[in-house]
Amino acid sequence: MTALLETRGVWQRFGGLVANSDVSISVGRGEIVGLIGPNGAGKSTLFNLIAGVRPPTQGTIWFDGHDITATPATERCRVGIARTFQVVKSFETMTVIDNVIVGALVRNTVMREARRKAFEVLEFTGLSARADVPASELIPSEKRRLEVARALATEPKLLLLDEVLTGLTPLEAQTGVELVRRVRETGVTVLMVEHVMEIVMPLVDRAIVLDLGKVLVEGKPTDIVRDPKVITAYLGDRHAVGA
Amino acid sequence: MHDVTHAVRRRRDLIIAAVLISVAACVPLFVKDVYVQNIMVLTLMYAALSQSWNILGGYCGQISLGHALYFGLGAYTTAILLTKFGVLPWFGMLAGGLISALIALALGYPTFRLGGHYFAIATIVIAEIAYLLFLNWDWAGAALGIDIPVREDSWLRFQFTRSKLPYFYFALAFAAVAWLVTWWLENSKWGYWWRAVKDNPEAAESLGVVVFKSKMGAGAISAFLTAIGGAFYAMFVSYIDPESVMSFQFSLLISLPAVVGGIGTLWGPVLGAAVLIPVTELTRSFIGGSGRGVDLIVYGGLIIIISLTRPDGLLGLFSRKRKKEAVR
Repeated sequence: MTALLETRGVWQRFGGLVANSDVSISVGRGEIVGLIGPNGAGKSTLFNLIAGVRPPTQGTIWFDGHDITATPATERCRVGIARTFQVVKSFETMTVIDNVIVGALVRNTVMREARRKAFEVLEFTGLSARADVPASELIPSEKRRLEVARALATEPKLLLLDEVLTGLTPLEAQTGVELVRRVRETGVTVLMVEHVMEIVMPLVDRAIVLDLGKVLVEGKPTDIVRDPKVITAYLGDRHAVGA
Repeated sequence: MHDVTHAVRRRRDLIIAAVLISVAACVPLFVKDVYVQNIMVLTLMYAALSQSWNILGGYCGQISLGHALYFGLGAYTTAILLTKFGVLPWFGMLAGGLISALIALALGYPTFRLGGHYFAIATIVIAEIAYLLFLNWDWAGAALGIDIPVREDSWLRFQFTRSKLPYFYFALAFAAVAWLVTWWLENSKWGYWWRAVKDNPEAAESLGVVVFKSKMGAGAISAFLTAIGGAFYAMFVSYIDPESVMSFQFSLLISLPAVVGGIGTLWGPVLGAAVLIPVTELTRSFIGGSGRGVDLIVYGGLIIIISLTRPDGLLGLFSRKRKKEAVR
């Protein structure tokens, strides 16, 4: 079976700056894949290319057997790609359930069904008690969950998570990790950008490490954390000597 | 469970509206004073206009300060069709609405790409250009305007000299329709798309919301309804000129009730118009004659007080209580 998501030789240049160079990655169905790397490695750029914020300078992106390189962001969620934002972008004046209904409207044209779907997702993400509260009144960890809920309401095949676990307390992060596992159990593939290694490593099936815009290594998390190249990228040469 | 409470809330709004409309319909039975009836007609008209403005400005978050354009187009289309071609005002009203909606789409095409304040500025400029064009357009009466000849009272020609009551009932129906359209849109895909666009266009796009299309839809509906109000106003005062239907003050009069009452809410425009329009009219009649602009000072002062104490609009007075209930 073909991979669910594939980038083939993707480049992204911003003027003279090369943010992604010749990135080819693939994500299989049902996987949880971590996209990691030090600051400035090009994770967010690649993430945005997959989410359709802009087309890559060069290369193609394939999803579910189709070339989606030119598919705009609005269309990508209809194809089955949903995303969250690193800096949360809740609809602040709307209630929690109304936020999620916007997502649910992608696959439900009847309002009553969209509302029912949204409430289901709120129960799944543990936000149902907050359904009628304006999004502006949520605490930060709840807002992160709302981002995930909104994305899940579009009934995606692939969920793109942009640093959803960063900046949470250990307990909140643990709840988040469990949520991601449960998402995968429902058959949704997950690609997550994180730079806090200790949180993602136990969660992901496979990690792809980016450094300086290129794929440095990819593989099982247990191998990745021991890889000298990864240690060098994160901590500098000095620490790699002992490895 | 949850969707039941939602349905209950929607039905409650509908019942409140039905009660208010019924009560309003009975008021002329007791209030015979023509001056007061006049204020009631204007209040209902501005409630409806502001409700129309609220669709684009409140729900979709595209602050237009140029709605005088659509108001004026409705008035001019009706007056020109009637005086020059003998077309009944009912058709003129419809034509004015459609023309305004088309103009809104044509203008939206470039302006809806503008963000935030730039959009508001563009709407002011465009409405001002239209005002100047009409001021110099001889065929449309230029600065002299158009006098709609008064004949016998007739629903067909929508002219009444002996009583203001027909105007009152039309204005009431107009306000009811504008409210009902908003009520319906609020719980439609469009309503959700608009609020998402207002709060965060980027997040909206990631959830499949076609931002540009949403704005165009809101703009067309808003312009159509506003033009209906302009057409009504032309028949109500039976004389129009650019100053009296297309000047900047109408853009403000149309948007203020929604802003003061509660922007982007179902009841905000109604509440705002019920407070602002009587105050405008009463201060103008009783202290406006001094020529020192005291009425405008009172009006401005009121708006400042409301925006300082209730930044979310007068509707906040009611929802604070509701919030307490929710916490309990």
